[in-house]
Amino acid sequence: MSDDIEEGIRVRARELLSLGEVGCVVGYERSPKGRIRPAFVYDAGDVHRLVWDQTCHHNLMVYLRERVAPSRTNEAAPRTAVVARPCDVRALNVLIHEGQVIREQVFVIGVACPGMLDGEGVAEHCQRCKERTPVFYDALVGRAPKVDVLDETWADVAGLEAMSPAERLAFWTREFDRCIRCYACRQACPGCYCFECLVEQVDPSWVSIAHKVPEKAFFHVMRAYHLAGRCVECHACDQACPMHIPLSLLNRKIAKEVKALFGYVAGGDPEIPPPLATFRKDEELPL
Amino acid sequence: MKAITREALTTWLDGLTGRYTLIAPRLVEGELLYRSVTASAEIVLEFRRTVLSPKTFFLPDTQVVLEVEKRGTETTLAEPEVVKEQVIIGVRPCDARGLRALDALLLDRPPADAYYAERREKTTLIGLACPRLWEDCFCTSLGGAPDDASDVDLMFYEGRTGYWLSVVTEKGAALVEGLRTEETEQALPASDISGERVPVLAPDGWSALFDDAYWQRLADRCLSCHACTYVCPTCRCFDVRDDTTAAGPGYAHIQRLRAWDSCMAAAYRRIAGGHNPRPSKAQRLRNRYYCKFCYSPIDFGAVACVGCGRCIAVCPVAIDITEMLADIQYPISST
Amino acid sequence: MNERSNPMRPLLGTLAGVKDLADDVKLFQIELNGQSFDYRPGQFAFVSAFGVGEAPFGLASTSGRTSQLEFAVNRIGTVTAALHSLEPGAIVGVRGPLGNSFPLDEMRGKNIVVLGGGIGGAPLRPVIHTILDRRTEYGKLTILWAARKPSLLVFTDEYDAWRSAPDTELHLTVDEGSPPWTGNVGLITQLLEQVAPSPENAAAIICGPPIMIKFVLLGLKKLGFADEQMIMTLEAKMKCGIGKCGRCNMGEIFVCLHGPVFSYTQVSRFLESFV
Repeated sequence: MSDDIEEGIRVRARELLSLGEVGCVVGYERSPKGRIRPAFVYDAGDVHRLVWDQTCHHNLMVYLRERVAPSRTNEAAPRTAVVARPCDVRALNVLIHEGQVIREQVFVIGVACPGMLDGEGVAEHCQRCKERTPVFYDALVGRAPKVDVLDETWADVAGLEAMSPAERLAFWTREFDRCIRCYACRQACPGCYCFECLVEQVDPSWVSIAHKVPEKAFFHVMRAYHLAGRCVECHACDQACPMHIPLSLLNRKIAKEVKALFGYVAGGDPEIPPPLATFRKDEELPL
Repeated sequence: MKAITREALTTWLDGLTGRYTLIAPRLVEGELLYRSVTASAEIVLEFRRTVLSPKTFFLPDTQVVLEVEKRGTETTLAEPEVVKEQVIIGVRPCDARGLRALDALLLDRPPADAYYAERREKTTLIGLACPRLWEDCFCTSLGGAPDDASDVDLMFYEGRTGYWLSVVTEKGAALVEGLRTEETEQALPASDISGERVPVLAPDGWSALFDDAYWQRLADRCLSCHACTYVCPTCRCFDVRDDTTAAGPGYAHIQRLRAWDSCMAAAYRRIAGGHNPRPSKAQRLRNRYYCKFCYSPIDFGAVACVGCGRCIAVCPVAIDITEMLADIQYPISST
Repeated sequence: MNERSNPMRPLLGTLAGVKDLADDVKLFQIELNGQSFDYRPGQFAFVSAFGVGEAPFGLASTSGRTSQLEFAVNRIGTVTAALHSLEPGAIVGVRGPLGNSFPLDEMRGKNIVVLGGGIGGAPLRPVIHTILDRRTEYGKLTILWAARKPSLLVFTDEYDAWRSAPDTELHLTVDEGSPPWTGNVGLITQLLEQVAPSPENAAAIICGPPIMIKFVLLGLKKLGFADEQMIMTLEAKMKCGIGKCGRCNMGEIFVCLHGPVFSYTQVSRFLESFV
């Protein structure tokens, strides 16, 4: 199945590049040492570099803003094609709703995704994923796989919720202890695109530059709150973290609350914008 | 050559914990990190790379450089507490060699950094040789070796039942007084240094490549996070900012903090007013490699990379410094 | 550690006076408590607003003329805003002198052209003072002083003294004039074309925004100035000022250690553009 997807991506990329419909195809390639990494193909003759398998975990939407953000686009700027799993397309929805990416500037090569492998089989968050084809795309590669979808029980969050506040504090203190404030999580996240992150702001200095647990906890918790209703649970943050901190647990807890409050899943519908980024005069919930 | 059983080693290490801050590789939620330990049982000396170098014990990820107290119209400055003597065990030759680059910049080129100098003076390094190169390692391409004892005070070499021990400096000799060792005739097996070497270009070769389109291509996937710089034994860029820790009417206590920073960050060179001489990822990535392979040799006579492979291991998008070194042997094009 | 010299530790000083110099620019006069240091034109120091941080500023005073350290501070960021909120009597920190200085000794006997844009005039003030105080040691002094508008011109109270010095010319210009300004209106590059100082036995010293320096260099080259005759002072983001924090490098050169004063001969060899 991965072979079909891979071949499909190459065929589509070759077509788009040779017809001049896009200036670049953003996909995945394998490094000389065999590591999967984002790939930028500018020439139809290079499409053989593009690969796809169930370890292609990067959310490539992080690269779109610098290529197709409204302020940088003019008529002469070429479109960019991007290889996108269902979760990646949800991230794109969020970026489009927030005016960060112009839809017409992107050619979405949608992937019918069988889920990412995590060393023990298909990753749990992929087992829960209801969409097997992206909610929108310009071209689709692969066929919707027949997979049993795990029901959403929020079981991963239940463990946290069962802890007392003191236990939860101990848990996160233990996890953030080894955080090095490298911001790989933030940089890998398509939802994090602030020109100046709050933890780097000097005026006011919301948090000191210390690499200590209080500062690190502040960063992670605030980042999770800023992603409320915007995080698409692609787990790019977990994958990027050099210390394997289970960051997505924070986002999952908040996603659970957002679902309960607004019945909303981030980026699921091209028409419905993120509730926390939307103002309506007639709010449905009483203040 | 001297040898020591595992048992004698653990007894001795436990003895050290009372007199020194003992720092060793330790498992922290499954990650191998250099941390202070209170018992030898916490120490992990298996052949495995720590995520970070022991750099933080010389140039801490966070340190207080000044304590400032303001009372009414009076302001007093104080320097932080004196550092306790440290012993770091399990230092791999690459990490010890990395201190050469930090020494050249922080100590040898005046003015010397007083904080780094103090920690350097108060630290004894106990090296642990590697039997061979680990995945992504390339120390042998940069003049290093997995069993190079040049930069440590003592060197341990792992055997089946214990360790061979070589005393390198007087500081090391002083530390092992009272350590129960045996003389052994058994020959120390040399570390395996096989493995493909990575070519390293001379500084003038780098100047010619400055405007090559390769840097933009390589930087396409860079996320501008700080991971590579923080895990690196030779990277040392830092930020300084004041933090008010207590304040009341007519009173404030302030700490001037120094913390790791990264040249890879977008705002690294941005000045008040907004001007940024390195606005693109490509410029910053290029600067990082030039700093290591071009500017350091010009300034200090040596490349500021020890081939430890950590940056390769942590980069979320598999930017590989050895791949870059191989690629630039064949410049792609001019912009 | 207290016995060892610690280059990160500032000296304490008292803010003796604060003068308005231009829009959002104040001149801070600092009296160091007890200790003082000698410095030369072109050098800089870090000034601390304790609780906020420290930032580098060119020394705008001349050590021969005053025991106070003077800095022109443009309120543009966090540290400068904090400094601007201080009243005389406040305690600040000073770390200096840092960097290199203008090669005024080598320039003896030459005709000097000084070109200052906006607050860039601040580090050039001690150059002018030094030349005026040792007038016979130097040839003709031509000062081109510019700002975006009249309210941004600095050291206006000294212009008469400069003009009236022997063999000294002062030419002022603003990008945009507004009443009561009756002087020159135009960019400093246009003024340079008009004044057209001769490169013969001359040296030019330039300070201002990077883009201004870039175009002034081109203008001077057109007049026949050689690379080594053009001296400038550059700025960069700095955190330590002593070549440790890594930030201010232009290639292997550190602005804080090898500069901030550079000749164009040096700058033209930088791999990275200073603009």
